[in-house]
Amino acid sequence: MEVKEEQSTKRKKQKQGRFWTWVAASVLFRLILIYFPKNLNLSSRPEVSTPLTSLRRLAEGYWLKQSSMSPYAGSMYHGSPLLLSLLGPLTVKRIEGQPSHLLCSLVFVVADILNAMVIRATGQTLQVAYRQSLKSLDLDTISESMEVLSSGDIAALVYLWNPFTIVACVGLSTSPIENLAIILALYGACKRMVPLAAFGWVMATHLSLYPMILIIPIILLLGYGPDTPRKLLLMRRCGKVEDNSSSDSCQQQEKVINQSDLPKVFAWGPPMLFLLWAIMWSVYVLLLCGISVKQYGGLWEMFERMYGFILTVQDLSPNIGVLWYFFAEVFDFFRNFFLIVFHMNILFMIFPLAIRLKHRPCFLAFVYITISSMLKSYPSVGDSALYFGLLGWFVNELSEMQFSFCLFSVYVGVSLLSPVMHNLWIWRGTGNANFYFATAITYACLQMVLVVESVSAMLNHDRKLKKLTNAKLQNGKS
Amino acid sequence: MVAEKESESESETPLIPRARPKPRPIVQLGIFLISHSLLFSKHRLVSFCSVVFSTAGVLALLLLPVLAKNTYISENALMPGSVAPMLSNQEVAEANRLVKDLTSLNSKPLASAIGSQRLISQYMSNLGAEVSHHKFHPQLNQFHPLHFFSSPDSGRVEQNISCALHGVNTVGIIRAPRGDGKEAIVLVTPFNSVKLNQNEALSLAIAYSVFSLLTRVPWLAKDVIWLVADSQFGEYSGVAAWLRDYHTPVFSGLGTLDAEMCPESNNIYGLNENLSTKRTIYDGFKRAGTMAAALVIKVADRSEQYEDSLSIYAEASNGQMPNLDLINIVNYLAVHRQGLRVKVEKFWPLLGLKWLKTLGEIFESLGHLARSVNPQWKFGIPAADYIEGSATLASSLYYQALGVPTGPHGAFRDYQVDAITLEIFPKVSSLDNKVRKNDFLLRSGRLIEGVIRSVNNLLEKFHQSFFLYLLTSPGKFVSVGVYMIAFALLVAPLPMVAASLYVDASNSDYSLKIDKPAPFANASDEPCITLKSWKWLFAAKKVFFVHLWGSVVSLLPYFICQIPSCTPTTSFIIWVFLSILSLVVMYIVLASPSSHANESQPQRGEWAILKSVTLSAAFIGLCLMSVINFASAEIGGLLMVPMCLMAHPLKLDVKARSIRTVSRVVYNLVLGFIGFPPIAFIVLKGAFEGFSGVNVGDFWSWVESLWAWNSATYLYIGMVYLPCWVLCIHILFHRC
Repeated sequence: MEVKEEQSTKRKKQKQGRFWTWVAASVLFRLILIYFPKNLNLSSRPEVSTPLTSLRRLAEGYWLKQSSMSPYAGSMYHGSPLLLSLLGPLTVKRIEGQPSHLLCSLVFVVADILNAMVIRATGQTLQVAYRQSLKSLDLDTISESMEVLSSGDIAALVYLWNPFTIVACVGLSTSPIENLAIILALYGACKRMVPLAAFGWVMATHLSLYPMILIIPIILLLGYGPDTPRKLLLMRRCGKVEDNSSSDSCQQQEKVINQSDLPKVFAWGPPMLFLLWAIMWSVYVLLLCGISVKQYGGLWEMFERMYGFILTVQDLSPNIGVLWYFFAEVFDFFRNFFLIVFHMNILFMIFPLAIRLKHRPCFLAFVYITISSMLKSYPSVGDSALYFGLLGWFVNELSEMQFSFCLFSVYVGVSLLSPVMHNLWIWRGTGNANFYFATAITYACLQMVLVVESVSAMLNHDRKLKKLTNAKLQNGKS
Repeated sequence: MVAEKESESESETPLIPRARPKPRPIVQLGIFLISHSLLFSKHRLVSFCSVVFSTAGVLALLLLPVLAKNTYISENALMPGSVAPMLSNQEVAEANRLVKDLTSLNSKPLASAIGSQRLISQYMSNLGAEVSHHKFHPQLNQFHPLHFFSSPDSGRVEQNISCALHGVNTVGIIRAPRGDGKEAIVLVTPFNSVKLNQNEALSLAIAYSVFSLLTRVPWLAKDVIWLVADSQFGEYSGVAAWLRDYHTPVFSGLGTLDAEMCPESNNIYGLNENLSTKRTIYDGFKRAGTMAAALVIKVADRSEQYEDSLSIYAEASNGQMPNLDLINIVNYLAVHRQGLRVKVEKFWPLLGLKWLKTLGEIFESLGHLARSVNPQWKFGIPAADYIEGSATLASSLYYQALGVPTGPHGAFRDYQVDAITLEIFPKVSSLDNKVRKNDFLLRSGRLIEGVIRSVNNLLEKFHQSFFLYLLTSPGKFVSVGVYMIAFALLVAPLPMVAASLYVDASNSDYSLKIDKPAPFANASDEPCITLKSWKWLFAAKKVFFVHLWGSVVSLLPYFICQIPSCTPTTSFIIWVFLSILSLVVMYIVLASPSSHANESQPQRGEWAILKSVTLSAAFIGLCLMSVINFASAEIGGLLMVPMCLMAHPLKLDVKARSIRTVSRVVYNLVLGFIGFPPIAFIVLKGAFEGFSGVNVGDFWSWVESLWAWNSATYLYIGMVYLPCWVLCIHILFHRC
């Protein structure tokens, strides 16, 4: 027994070592790539830098601000004033003989590593919760075989080594920082650190608006606790048994259930606290923003230039989303109508999904992030990087996902084809916008298929667990 | 129509209850087919389909000359040939004077390069054009791995330029009287100032006659630039250098970057002091507007037997073509106005092929048959036309696939300017006879004038007609919509077979797992978490590393180039040796842990999954390449698709010992041998040019020319084709 334990700890250590070498390798890889910024020209790619995340625009905004003009003058900068005062000084600082924007790149590398670490910690929490819930369902056999895959490490490595993440980090887009805010919110909610969760949510909303919908999974997380298979399962287990046996055994079970320390009902305390903290943080953030834009247009201009720009899709330069093409084509008098339609699209999906997946709030957050990165007005590969990282959390649950190979191949194909089509259109002049838009549509469809497949795999997994517990109960009965 | 249909359906609906017992013949046939196809195993169905699709793909490729359409002028604004040409004998006489002066200057013992440059610029400025000189340094052809990915602007790499080597382009610009100076048309005549020959002088004469006419015409709406490109370092480099400086203005310094690097020691122009008329000969860089089109004019040194003829070269780098309308105008004006015979390049070895002739005859008789059935069907062309068309098509495919521009016009395409080279072949006797020579100059000059007048009418840049096409004769083309069908049919089996293999492999594995625990089956034991759906990750890892190796192999020549004094053969041998070494190193470092993990649980279907991942990688690579450069994807697909589809472990085939498997073993071995890129190159070269002078070093020089021109075909060979070949060989020798 002891030998076995020793072996397992040894293996664990080995695995740890391997994890850290891979992390170090990814950092090294990024640093090498940072030294070729001119040749790769990543920061001017439409896939990487959108009007919201481009560092070149941020530098422009900072320059405007330094020359005591509103950073939002012209239509260059559309980000947050806080980001401007954080990253702005770094954009002008040059070190002799080093590539320009080196300091900013280093900040993004650090943000990426931080992201990976937080993802890892959250994944570990989730795994512990998952194992506990399996134990409470008497399905220990599964948890034993699960030792092979520690989802936190996998998620962190998937995040770090995803080409999308690397490209977004090296291509000087601010999306690593936006992602950091989102991941911090989820981490805080999982670990029940209410102030951190509120801070993350407020910052994420402030930076890119769309993460606002994450309030539902965060509240669910705080209310129910981290991902667990359906709590109803326990109840239903009792109910199922009731059908074909005497009632007092059920009562016995119920007692057991009540004794177990799993909170089954929604705890109202933490969510309320979260709301309180969220209000406090948002007041604080608005105050800071107000101070920094006081001399220029005030807060209203900031709202108009940040959120108005996101919601009204003013910039129609091509990106990997689908909205630019549509709004370039649509008649002007239909524009407002379709703006509402497209934004409602995201909102329409929120509630049905929340009802169906409320027992797995973290997975719900993943689904929301994927959907919003599909229907966003200015999507970039940084958003895809985030949801792929989060997908790693559910490695065990999604192990039987269908079409995984097909999805992977099409992802590879589309992400290679899209720059080529862009080149054909913009640089060679032999293609046209439809060529590029076709890849954008494929990409959007792909994300849709990913969402559908992962949700159905997750639900199947839950069904399987239910079946197993029922079978076990029946076995125990007979 | 709609009403008719409705009435039909209405009349049929009451019939259906009666007719129910006896389904229609088509339905019967469908049921029959489905039931019989179910009798086959699914695997056989897929292999049958893949064979059908690939042969259909090859057949469709052979059909392309038959399916070619006649070209037509798509842009209405062009209006070619609607006005009588204005070029007269007066301009031709002036041009003749220029030629005479040039030759007399050249025949002097102390003829200098500067002398002829000066003469040309003087002639230009006498016409009232703005003249400037552009000095450039030829860029040495070197391997820059990052050139493939960067845009042309960032391609300027600071390298050691030998200051002694430089060329001087002479540029003359006519400002358009009716234009706003925002657009321009470019005439290019390559001209070697050091060693003048008769043909170049003639091409100068043609350009000069047109140029002198254009200084006087009232209708000109676009500026005309005449570039006398110094061709002592090749015709391409002078034009490319001028275009690069044209499009990258230097705001801060004086003069261009190149000029700054080499301190000006002597004023080579020496023009300013010598001009009595203070016309503008300007040392800086003169520009006109964006270029609408460019024509490169050359007079060939070979001459035609019977009549004056014109050869059109259009292929630019990476198989890009100029807009078809430009070729159309030239073709129309040359044939219908000036009576020149127009040719495009042909692939000569194909003309004598027997089987092609029979194929042509078959198509011809099929066409006759079709016409006898229904005279409306216009299918089929005469066999001789078919052979000519396929030879032209083959050369069109070949030059596009190489990705190396066929002339100085290639430099323009990098800046989205449509350009072609017109090579004019004079009749044998015409150059001696003065009248004939004048007639030749007049006709070619009128052709150029007509083209310029058409382009001058253009309101927007060329966009109406096709950019993606293959020519089968000067007047016939195959558009992208047609030739893509052939390609799609050819590669369609790849994803089909990949999917079927993948499904088979995962299903068979699943059934094994179900069979095994059957004796002690307990519902709760069975579904432990298997990563069944993610099993392909190991194969994907392997494929990824092989492709990574492929990119390492394609980077190796960068280092091999640095070795001084290497013959092509030794470089090639070093390359092969280093590639094998890197493969072994990569295997030891990276692949060994995964192989250990695999050994613990040997899987029977592993090769199938590996093959399916390989097939999908090949499919993605081919599709990508078909967008970048269709021709190289098509040729590569013809080699790669049979090889990838048939790959099957030899061990299994040898064990089975049936005729089918033995033939498959032989087929696989032969394909695997021929598929290796150098061997494929040598075999193809030998087949068309004879095996006598074939040498392995030739492959190195061929590849060298590919990367020197930044051809995407090089990347395709290194990063798609070679890895797929290695994976196929790996599958062949898989120990399963």
